[in-house]
Amino acid sequence: MNAVGRRERGVLVAFLGLFLWTGGPVARGQDTAADFRQNCVSCHTIGGGRLTGPDLKGVSGRAERDWLVRFIVNPQAMIDRGDPYALKLLQESRGVVMPQFSGMSAARAQALLDLIAAESELEESQFKGLQITDRPFTTADVQGGRGLFMGVQPLRNGGPACIGCHTAKDLGGLSGGRLGPDLSRVFERLEGRKNLAAWLSAPATATMAPIFKNHPIASEEIVPIVAYLEAQASGGGEDMSAGPLIFLLIGLGGAGLMLVVFDLAWRMRFRTVRKQLVLTSTGRGEE
Amino acid sequence: MNVRSQVSMVFHLDKCIGCHTCSIACKNIWTDRKGAEYMWWNNVETKPGTGFPTAWEDQEKYNGGWACEDGNLRLKSTSKTKTVFNIFHHPNMPTMDDYYEPWTYDYQHLFNAPEGPDQPTAVPISMVTGELINIKAGPNWDDDLGGSPIYAENDPNLRGLTEQQRQQLFAVERLVFFYFPRICNHCLNPSCVASCPSGALYKRGEDGIVLLDQNRCRAWRACVAACPYKKTFFNWSTDKSEKCILCYPRLETGQAPACFHSCVGRIRYLGVLLYDASRIEEVAKRPAEELVEAQRSLILDPHDPAVIAAARSGGIHDSVIESAQRSPVYKFVKEWKIALPPHIEFRTLPMLFYVPPMAPVMADLDSGTVKNVSGGLFHDIEEARVPTRFLANLLGAGNEGKVRYALRKQKAVRWYRRALTVGDVTHAEAAEMLAQADCSPEEAEAIYRLTSLCTFDDRFVIPPMHREEAIEMLADPLEHKQSTGFGFLTGPRRGL
Repeated sequence: MNAVGRRERGVLVAFLGLFLWTGGPVARGQDTAADFRQNCVSCHTIGGGRLTGPDLKGVSGRAERDWLVRFIVNPQAMIDRGDPYALKLLQESRGVVMPQFSGMSAARAQALLDLIAAESELEESQFKGLQITDRPFTTADVQGGRGLFMGVQPLRNGGPACIGCHTAKDLGGLSGGRLGPDLSRVFERLEGRKNLAAWLSAPATATMAPIFKNHPIASEEIVPIVAYLEAQASGGGEDMSAGPLIFLLIGLGGAGLMLVVFDLAWRMRFRTVRKQLVLTSTGRGEE
Repeated sequence: MNVRSQVSMVFHLDKCIGCHTCSIACKNIWTDRKGAEYMWWNNVETKPGTGFPTAWEDQEKYNGGWACEDGNLRLKSTSKTKTVFNIFHHPNMPTMDDYYEPWTYDYQHLFNAPEGPDQPTAVPISMVTGELINIKAGPNWDDDLGGSPIYAENDPNLRGLTEQQRQQLFAVERLVFFYFPRICNHCLNPSCVASCPSGALYKRGEDGIVLLDQNRCRAWRACVAACPYKKTFFNWSTDKSEKCILCYPRLETGQAPACFHSCVGRIRYLGVLLYDASRIEEVAKRPAEELVEAQRSLILDPHDPAVIAAARSGGIHDSVIESAQRSPVYKFVKEWKIALPPHIEFRTLPMLFYVPPMAPVMADLDSGTVKNVSGGLFHDIEEARVPTRFLANLLGAGNEGKVRYALRKQKAVRWYRRALTVGDVTHAEAAEMLAQADCSPEEAEAIYRLTSLCTFDDRFVIPPMHREEAIEMLADPLEHKQSTGFGFLTGPRRGL
């Protein structure tokens, strides 16, 4: 190993040291309230009634602490093992299995349970959930939601518009994105305003969570989006404007059209000389 | 007057026997490499024929060379605007099929074939893909096919010929062909140099050799499209273009280029020409029929004191001027005017000149006996099997007078020599022919000597290259004095 190699190794060690030094404290310290807000509120409230998952107010009284920790760390394993209470919860949430969160540990689960216990004592928990209005939505609400969905009106905190990944029934044309599910009937799937609003307040899927973690949807934006999605679900049916087949056909047609355009643009280009010469001279249509 | 020197060439087509020794000599030295298999920096074509790549002379298809429009020269194949809009695709690029797909044979099969009832064969294999191929064309596909209805009939030089002349060219027992060896013309106004977006091509200041810098080439291939002679080639393996380098490493050591050196028919001549670089653009813009004469006017008399003085002040070494005074090329092109540039209508001002071939006379088949008709002194030239129109399209930009002049002079020299050695022509007849051909007996003797009795030193008057001075055009040798010296080229290897 020559001098250059030694220097490179030194730089590497210094870089790793810097990484460990900055990375360490972040990994150790967890703001449990933020943890709860990011990962739990899309399905749970504390004292706000049940959403997809049960209301967690006084959850310590409903099951053993040890059981709760094991359930939080790996819900699917408890169900697979045939635990009766876990199966009951599964039934109550209509078959939706609580996801297993990456990096969830017994210590983190304990901290969350401590937080839930403390919040349960309070008259009004900060995790009571978004209390969405019961009034019938107006056309203005729906139109506002449509604007937000399509990105005509940008989300205040800088989150991307829904249409980037999702589509809905009334978009027409080439419709919306196809990365996420069609949201035409999401209102039915999540069973109403309350669940939908809770979901929007902190989207918890692996794809959406990292995007909206730092750019949450503001609570006054949630109402029109819910209104829009409710209006979408009212008539039933899904987005049929550009099904996969039509999409493919449009793509193929577009590609064909582009080829024609290119061919016209370069119609004076050089083509084979020899082959043409042989073909015309032999007049047989073959070489 | 901006005097420059150029190593120029003459190919005496009347002596070419079409043996392809030149092509093989070049291939063995320069293009026997991966990616260069299909390249023939030197090739020999049969005329009438379509050559390599197929029908390269047809610039309506290939769009090579220059066009003169509204008093401006512009490249036919590209421009700055066109480069932008065709950045991913060059619309004038020849395809591999127009050259040919290089191939070899599966010789191992002859040894490894399992025992069977048939003799094993060596099947052709593409040298590009390694797959079996069905050979459709080769570098010399129409070799000796003078009357081929596919290739010879599509020779672009046949345009302007009367129907009768065409029929005669292809009639049985009247078929004719001659050979047309080609290398890079090292043009005075090279379109390949002008077209390169990377500035990789350049014309060497001291000797005019057009070279392609392999480090600067960025594989645009604009030169391939722009060269009307299709003498730059793209190496598909190294992703760089390549071209004939006129064997400059050999020239710099006083040797003739490989194709010249190996020429069996001794058809090739090489020597320095002095020319006036300040008039190149003006000459390249002349009407097509004036181009041959205009290019000749660019070439300066190396014995003229004014030219010598201007050459000296332009940095040309005395030894190069002295070499130019002995140049066989100067004699053929300028003194005797019997060597003509190929397709000068492409306006690149090629510096390789051809002495047009004396074709066999037209023969009549009279009840089984072949009868040569030869009335008048120059009758045979007008009635030659290869019409002067054809030669004029190839070598005179359509100017038949230039071709006829060269042929008459050659014929007069032959008659003059017949009068001296055979005696079936009287001296008076020979003298009259010489007079009509604008040729003195001394000139006829000189042409005869340089054509028939030429030695190596007569044919190749190679100037001292003076690289030590040429390098001063680009860099000051004193700039690096005391800044370099002996020492380690690479750092010493030591342990940990």
